[in-house]
Amino acid sequence: MLLRQVEYARPETVDEAVRLLASRDDARALAGGQSLINVMKTRVASPELVVDLNRIGEMRGIAVGADGSLAVGAMATYADVIASPEVRSRRPILAEVAATIADVQVRNRGTIGGNLCVSDPTNHLPPVALAQGWSMTIRALASERTVGAEEFFQGVYVTAVAPGELLTRVTVPALRAREGDGWAALTLGRDGTGIVNVAATVFEGQARIAIGCVAAVPVVLTATADEVSVRQAVRRAALDPPSDVHASGEYRRHVAEVLAARAVARALERAEG
Amino acid sequence: MSETHAVTERADELQIGYAGTSVPRKEDRRLVRGEGTFADDVKRHGMGYVHFVRSPYAHARIVSVDVSAAEALEGVYGTLTPAEVEELTDPFFELTTPPGSRIRDYALAVGKVRHVGEPVVAVVAETRELARDAADLVEIEYEPLPVLVDARRAQDEDAPILHEDAGTNVVWSGVFDWGDVDGALKAADRVVKIRELHFDRFSSTPLECSVALVEYDRGTEQFTIHANHQMPGVAAIWMGPALRVPLDRLRFVSQDIGGGFGNKITTHTYLTACCLLARKLRRPIQWTEWRTDQHSANAHGNERWFSDIEVAVMNDGTMLGFKVTALDDCGAFPRYEPLGCIIWAQVTPGLYRWRNIRVDFTQVVTNKSPVAPNRGYSRMQQLWLTERIVDIVAHELGLDPVEVRKRNYVRADEMPYTTPNGCVYDSGDYARCLDMALELIDYERVKEQRGERDGKLVGIGIGSTLDSGTNNFGQSTLLNPELQFSGNNEVATIKLDIFGEIVLTLGTVPQGQGHETTAAMVAADILGCSPDDVHVRAGHDSYWNSHAGFSGTYASQFAVSGLEAVKGATEKLALEIRRLAAAVLGAASPDEIVLEGKQARLKDNPEAALPFMACGAIVNANNAVLPPDARDITLNCRFVYVPPFELPDKERKYGNLTLTYATQIHACVVEIDRDTGEVEIVDYAAVDDCGVRIHPQIVEGQVHGATAHGLGAALHETFAYDEDGQLLTANFYEYHVPHALDMPPIRTGYIESPSPFSSLGTKGMGEGGGAAIHAVCAAIQDALRSAGIGSVVSDSHNPAERVWRLITNPEESSALVEVVST
Amino acid sequence: MAEPVSEQMIRVTINGEVYEREVEARRLLVHFLRDVLDLTGTHVGCDTGNCGACTVLLDGRSVKSCMVLAIQADGAQVTTVEGLAADGELTPLQRAFSRFHALQCGYCTPGMLISATYLLEQNPHPTEEEIRRGIQGNICRCTGYVNIVEAIKAAAEGQV
Repeated sequence: MLLRQVEYARPETVDEAVRLLASRDDARALAGGQSLINVMKTRVASPELVVDLNRIGEMRGIAVGADGSLAVGAMATYADVIASPEVRSRRPILAEVAATIADVQVRNRGTIGGNLCVSDPTNHLPPVALAQGWSMTIRALASERTVGAEEFFQGVYVTAVAPGELLTRVTVPALRAREGDGWAALTLGRDGTGIVNVAATVFEGQARIAIGCVAAVPVVLTATADEVSVRQAVRRAALDPPSDVHASGEYRRHVAEVLAARAVARALERAEG
Repeated sequence: MSETHAVTERADELQIGYAGTSVPRKEDRRLVRGEGTFADDVKRHGMGYVHFVRSPYAHARIVSVDVSAAEALEGVYGTLTPAEVEELTDPFFELTTPPGSRIRDYALAVGKVRHVGEPVVAVVAETRELARDAADLVEIEYEPLPVLVDARRAQDEDAPILHEDAGTNVVWSGVFDWGDVDGALKAADRVVKIRELHFDRFSSTPLECSVALVEYDRGTEQFTIHANHQMPGVAAIWMGPALRVPLDRLRFVSQDIGGGFGNKITTHTYLTACCLLARKLRRPIQWTEWRTDQHSANAHGNERWFSDIEVAVMNDGTMLGFKVTALDDCGAFPRYEPLGCIIWAQVTPGLYRWRNIRVDFTQVVTNKSPVAPNRGYSRMQQLWLTERIVDIVAHELGLDPVEVRKRNYVRADEMPYTTPNGCVYDSGDYARCLDMALELIDYERVKEQRGERDGKLVGIGIGSTLDSGTNNFGQSTLLNPELQFSGNNEVATIKLDIFGEIVLTLGTVPQGQGHETTAAMVAADILGCSPDDVHVRAGHDSYWNSHAGFSGTYASQFAVSGLEAVKGATEKLALEIRRLAAAVLGAASPDEIVLEGKQARLKDNPEAALPFMACGAIVNANNAVLPPDARDITLNCRFVYVPPFELPDKERKYGNLTLTYATQIHACVVEIDRDTGEVEIVDYAAVDDCGVRIHPQIVEGQVHGATAHGLGAALHETFAYDEDGQLLTANFYEYHVPHALDMPPIRTGYIESPSPFSSLGTKGMGEGGGAAIHAVCAAIQDALRSAGIGSVVSDSHNPAERVWRLITNPEESSALVEVVST
Repeated sequence: MAEPVSEQMIRVTINGEVYEREVEARRLLVHFLRDVLDLTGTHVGCDTGNCGACTVLLDGRSVKSCMVLAIQADGAQVTTVEGLAADGELTPLQRAFSRFHALQCGYCTPGMLISATYLLEQNPHPTEEEIRRGIQGNICRCTGYVNIVEAIKAAAEGQV
């Protein structure tokens, strides 16, 4: 519950932030703090320096691109996303899923960037990012690059953001005609930690499915958007989910199949509706 | 949402006045402003913060302890090691018989650690953070030992032995045999055999963790312990001999406590360590337990296995009796145990009339957190057993569980009812409460929906329980004839001060049950004033000398023992006021004086009145005006309530173990997702009967809270261990408790069957009997059976995966049950 | 504050009053409130940010103060339970909590009141589901939330 000694810096620009993150071996970005501070309480990870991103205005904000895509600042909070008229009208599933993350207090602080960069297998946004094909913009000291979701998530707590780098923005593609999103989750209590979660996007009858909580990073599959095909695709993926106190691997494997079918059915409904 | 279905059933019209009304709570004024004083709010100049270094192993020998690096850290005031504890204290008193009594239990782990989280070293520093930093510098070398986590293996020949001094893992073992079970099994039409049932490990996890701030006065050798302990008298009984100090040297002080539910009764180990540190380091010592500490090292509820159950039933559903082997897992140290080995006997037959019951009961230690008397203590487990038996019997025989209950319930006209082991159920109407619960969930309509529809399995379950209140501690002698405990007591003191202020002091230690308010109401009704006129001191303080050996708030007794003490003290005061007024006003007898509006006046002459202020002034400052025969009046009255218990019969294990029995009948409607096993409670009703309700809103609040605890245990909460004895649910992230969205709508109803054994007609009811657990288990089984799935719910804890397995693999659980025709 | 510091003088406005104190970077806001400023109304109930007993308003938004470093609150406005009753006059929510018996032990109450206050500021007429969602981040082990929901409803409907 009590943190180790740490140094703290609070930059006001992305450039300053990246300089600070690159200045130490063990510097961590402090976004919403809803994950990092808890980790620091356990002393499992005790960074030397935390770089508080909460004053960097250029990392907040949600804008609409010319192609209708959403440019979401990495420091946009879940609350920002839920309240955003742009999100609600253009890619509503993002607001709907964000609204099921934990509780009001967590949503007031927790950020899109934080959720993605933590890359915890039970997090909500990685499956959504993969199903929808988000791209992540990463700033380093002397460069900036954009990485697709599939390349972004690399392992448990590991992403394409290297030490000394900073995720500044994510791009959510615009919904096309005959495209719809769906989500299904089994959680520990209402709005609790995910036991299995599935994001699906259906376009012209074809589903892109991302299953969370079953592997180090979400498992991505494609299938025709009908229940039989989806279930077959999940079975063929031969998932080998972990067993823990909340669920066995066997149960997770079964539930993944059930929820994938449900998520696709919901996505299909929106695609056709 | 809650709808209260008000059916008033009082045997006689009791008080007019405040009793029965829901006055605003006195406690609220400070609590809604954040001005309560909880133990962690108390500060002392120069205090040192304690951090306990705890065992990472479930079972290990302590090879060496080195605190030198920790002590060298700047800001560290000192440490406490097992060697010091072993030298300076004696082991805590054990309640059980030999060889279990030879268990040595100290404030820190001496020689061995026996559960993950067991405190080994204490470090004290200037700030919380520094104490935590210093803890990382303590070097402890362990030699891991084999781990015992399954109680069913505790008596195996090759089982690791936790306590070498005892030489066995058995804490207590005995047989309870009443009536003629073998005869009943022969006389039965059928015998229903149930191989094994499991009541899971969980606890009420109060939001406020345990805290202590201990001061030591060197001049008077007085310890002042600011701690949120629920039963300070019992803590003192453990701590005094251990610390080798007289009990009065241990002053316990508390004001507001953030929930107890039995989890703040066995923290004397930590308090003792803090006392030693306060004395050693010459400064006040502050300890706050973290959530992870509470989950791993203080305290769990009793986990219990029921096996080889045989139930004698007739074809029409009449149940004649049963036998069972019960195995209780009390974790690494008994402490308050083995009382759990007898307390269940307060409700041996549950709500049912069977007369032939045999229980083979054994309690063992395992390498898990020690247990404490968690809400519903030990009775909840027994009631769950009887309710499971009823539902399994009903389903196996193709009978309606509602009808089987009604056929077998003790009837209202049989009250007071003496159970096979001599307990007396004071009053109640179980069938009536059941009907009310069914009406509240619209049973006649909902029962048509049982079974499978649209991928959901719908079922209805009943949980019927009793909350036995006000213990006869003589039941401990049925476990250990050497113990010198019996009866019970509670104290209250009330005085009229010099300016006419009425000041009431309780002996109880409330943790949210509204004692200040309810006590004030009872006193107000006797003194003819308003509860606002009665100042009730908040909390508990041993120095008030308003407590006795068993004082505290536990075991569902306040409404009886606490209020009887208040009533007794106030009646004494009322008589003294009337005697005083009679003397001053020239009345022939106190009977001519009435108390009204804070005045004592002549019945027949309202003008002739003595204000309470005048009474107080005369006695405290002007007593020469009193005639000699009135000079014994002090207007400062202390009353000790002693319930009318007798010593139980040790031979037959027979006798009245509890004074009152409140009834809880819950009904639950579930919808189960067939594909995932997720259980949704779509309707829920709780009907209770706790006799006369002094403050109905407070009573109903307890019903809500007990229901939430039960639902949590039924669907979400479990203290699960891996095979290395690591606790997997050690915080609120992993151990999920109900949040607001998890709670179903709850409809409540009540009747009032006054207790003939309490002068106010009240019954203790704070614990509830875990009825929600029983109702949910019953509903799940009903949903499955109604859909043609022959599963048996055999565990009290049913998260989604377990229910999914019941759906997809009914053979596994149905194999637990066998019906034999005789 | 672009250069790293391990401690810093911070200036925080709490319940309208300005406090200036030196804090270690590692100190949690909840401990700063309780241990340094003696504002003990805000409570600690867990160690993983789940229970909400530590909930305060930070620049007008409800947050769990056990997941904010005190140093992050430099320059910010904080409202704790002690700041709800202006001039000693209880708010409708505080009155409703008492009237409807929405508190037993009172330990979750400060955080619960802050969350409820924030809820009604954002949504003056919430449905029951919205109320439950609004207090989802606040654990209560005494009341089962039944009366808490009733109290918030009543306050929203102007019944207290």
